[in-house]
Amino acid sequence: MNLGTRKILDRSFTALGIGSIVIMALALMIVIVPIVTNGIGALFFTGTVEHRKMLFHEFKRGDSQKLTEESASAERYRAKVYEMLSGFEAELETMAPEKKREYQPKYTEVRTALQALLGPLPGDPEPMLTRFKYGQTRWEKAEAKLHDLLYEVKWDNSDPNVMSKEYFVSRAISFEGTSLVKLFPYVENNISKMLLPEFTFYWGFITDSSVDSHFFGGIWPEIQGTFFLAVGAMLFAFPLGVIAAVYFTEYARPGFFNSMLRSANSTLAGVPSIVFGMFGLAFFINTLKVSESKSVIAGALTLAIMILPTIIRAAEEAILAVPKTYREASLSLGSTKWNTIVTVILPAALPGILTGGVISLGRAAGETAPIIFTAAVSVGSAIGLADVFSSPTPALSWNIYNLASEHEAAAQIRHVQYGMALALVSIVLLLNLSAIVLRARISKKLKG
Amino acid sequence: MAEESAGGQNRTNAFVVSARKRFIQRVTKTVGEGTLLAIASFVAIVVIFIFYFVAKDAIPFFQIRGFQEFFTTTGWYPADDPAKFGAFAIIYGSLMVTLGSALIAVPMGVAAAICLSDILPFSIRQYAKPVIEMLAAIPSVAFGFFALVVLAPLLQEKGGLLMMWAWWLIAAPFMTLMIIIFADLLTTNIADPKRRKQLNLLLTALFGLIGVALLYRVGSVLSSIQILTGTNALNVSIILSFMALPTIVSVSEDALQAVGRDLREGSYALGATRAETIMKTILPAASSGILAAVILGIMRALGETMVVWMASGNSAHIPEPFFNYFEAVRTLTATIAGDMGEADQVTGSARFHVLFAMGLLLLVISFICNLVSERIVVRQRKILSGQ
Repeated sequence: MNLGTRKILDRSFTALGIGSIVIMALALMIVIVPIVTNGIGALFFTGTVEHRKMLFHEFKRGDSQKLTEESASAERYRAKVYEMLSGFEAELETMAPEKKREYQPKYTEVRTALQALLGPLPGDPEPMLTRFKYGQTRWEKAEAKLHDLLYEVKWDNSDPNVMSKEYFVSRAISFEGTSLVKLFPYVENNISKMLLPEFTFYWGFITDSSVDSHFFGGIWPEIQGTFFLAVGAMLFAFPLGVIAAVYFTEYARPGFFNSMLRSANSTLAGVPSIVFGMFGLAFFINTLKVSESKSVIAGALTLAIMILPTIIRAAEEAILAVPKTYREASLSLGSTKWNTIVTVILPAALPGILTGGVISLGRAAGETAPIIFTAAVSVGSAIGLADVFSSPTPALSWNIYNLASEHEAAAQIRHVQYGMALALVSIVLLLNLSAIVLRARISKKLKG
Repeated sequence: MAEESAGGQNRTNAFVVSARKRFIQRVTKTVGEGTLLAIASFVAIVVIFIFYFVAKDAIPFFQIRGFQEFFTTTGWYPADDPAKFGAFAIIYGSLMVTLGSALIAVPMGVAAAICLSDILPFSIRQYAKPVIEMLAAIPSVAFGFFALVVLAPLLQEKGGLLMMWAWWLIAAPFMTLMIIIFADLLTTNIADPKRRKQLNLLLTALFGLIGVALLYRVGSVLSSIQILTGTNALNVSIILSFMALPTIVSVSEDALQAVGRDLREGSYALGATRAETIMKTILPAASSGILAAVILGIMRALGETMVVWMASGNSAHIPEPFFNYFEAVRTLTATIAGDMGEADQVTGSARFHVLFAMGLLLLVISFICNLVSERIVVRQRKILSGQ
């Protein structure tokens, strides 16, 4: 090979390496950016008067006088819609039977679309579910619903070789010649007066509990559940892990037993997370019976076992990083080995141990599979500290799955799912960032 | 002065110990160390317990149904009467997404590790490492949510186009490189420099034409592919490769770092370029460590639950043809997670135990992989330190 080709190869090799790191950074961005941008939408959005009504009725929050004024002004514009509806209903009665049969289902569709947009219409029975008590609370959703009202979806099946395509037909055309035809342009032109959109910062998304399985309200029960589970797991795993690390670094003698213990540690680190969940179910719940069925304590114990190897490894590394001189100085002053460990080595290693602890805390908060069978429920209110021994809890990680995959109206509450994902990702990444910063400071300090 | 002498007195006293005191000291030392040992062996006890309790609920299944049905048939109808527990398609699905993620993650991960350990200067490496750590820290459910809500619709609508772009981006540079190398290698033996240059140019142009035609042809085939469902094996493989990457990068980087400076410097001294040093000296020396990294990364992909549960489509069948990554699959982990809820009420039935049989299978595979990778790392360290 000539020199030129060798140089090109060398360069391209460098490019390959740098490219793969760039791709990795891009992967991180690609995953995080949609979660962050859409997740912020759960907190900051253009809320309608229905949102403020919901807040006032469900959470007793907001200015009642201002709300009454706003409702009154919205109602003024809505009244005309209701008038048109009742006018058309009267017209429907006078129609010939076959025409009536033609218009009745179309009219029902219009009514349903209006209910979804503005909330219950006058004369409707009081809805059972909270989600039907209010119109669209978010402006971008209201716009989508307005489109549903104005246009009918049809499917184009003319070409059997291509997947059928959807197209839209204006509803106003199908009501040509009746009194209802005026309704569509009226709603389109006055929608913002009927819903009064204004920029909203809904901090309650963090601190409220959910209303009607996350259609409204916030994610506080999930945040609290995640906190209980992660902190509970740390309470068990941290002391155990640090003590085990002290044993491994200070007391263990090389030999078969010790290498077996180390093997056990790395095996435990490699066990698939779902198997931890099965073990938690089979051991903590079915055998030890720490609780009747799923509970926070069973989940926390399972998570504790999962994060134990990580804590042990981090603590070991931190202890080994303490300079030998510290230990020798302490021993030369006549203190015992145990005394040296407790008063000199552990304090010096503490920041490093804490770094490992913080990362494990993030892992425990983010993991889903171990708590599916041991601690998580999909719907529930925030539990008190006394209930951790008996009752399960909703948790961010589990509820993201549940809302995205199993909720009956998953597509309608995307903003809540994104908000939850943002909450979880930011908790975990903040913990990790603080660990990274902490570690950078330690390494600076150790370098002197 | 008086204080100092008192301190001296104490210090001398500390060394003169009565027999009784020494006995107490020895007892406390033994008891203390025993306690520490007990706590440290807690981990081993947990591992034994995990094996015991998973196996305890898995064995009844094999007693009731035998091995053959579970491992060789593909009908998975646990709720029917009579129930069918053929897990072959599910095991195959697990292997398929694992292999797919390894195909993406291994080349990228090893390249990134080489870059981190040998190419980038320290100042940039400092910033690259946290990126990898962040990627490792993102909860699996967030990845799953991304796969389900963002990637799946994207693949379904623009899958062909995306694959065409990926093909061009990856294949075009590689092909250019290949063409240059081939043209060079084929003309090395010609002595006359002028003729060599001419022939080289000719060959490059010829190969280039063939290469462009190939690129274009494959690209157009890829772009015409219609992906019927976005929740498929390809989607899961991509996301799992993101999740396996940090493990592969960090473990292989350790393996590359373990290859000492002397090997590198020896290679440079012989006149090798950096790429040649890496390819011919460092990679062979670190190959076993990199193998261990690959095993660990694959294990991460195999044991992952949430992503596959949310985004694999959960359909227990072998794709048609068997390498079709655009079809929905189902994996062991997703089956355990998804079916346990329904099986829970009838603890003791074959339906409950079959899930533990799957768990045991996962556990055994991960255990073996772990042991193997550990052995490999230990052996590599021994060999390298022996040199």
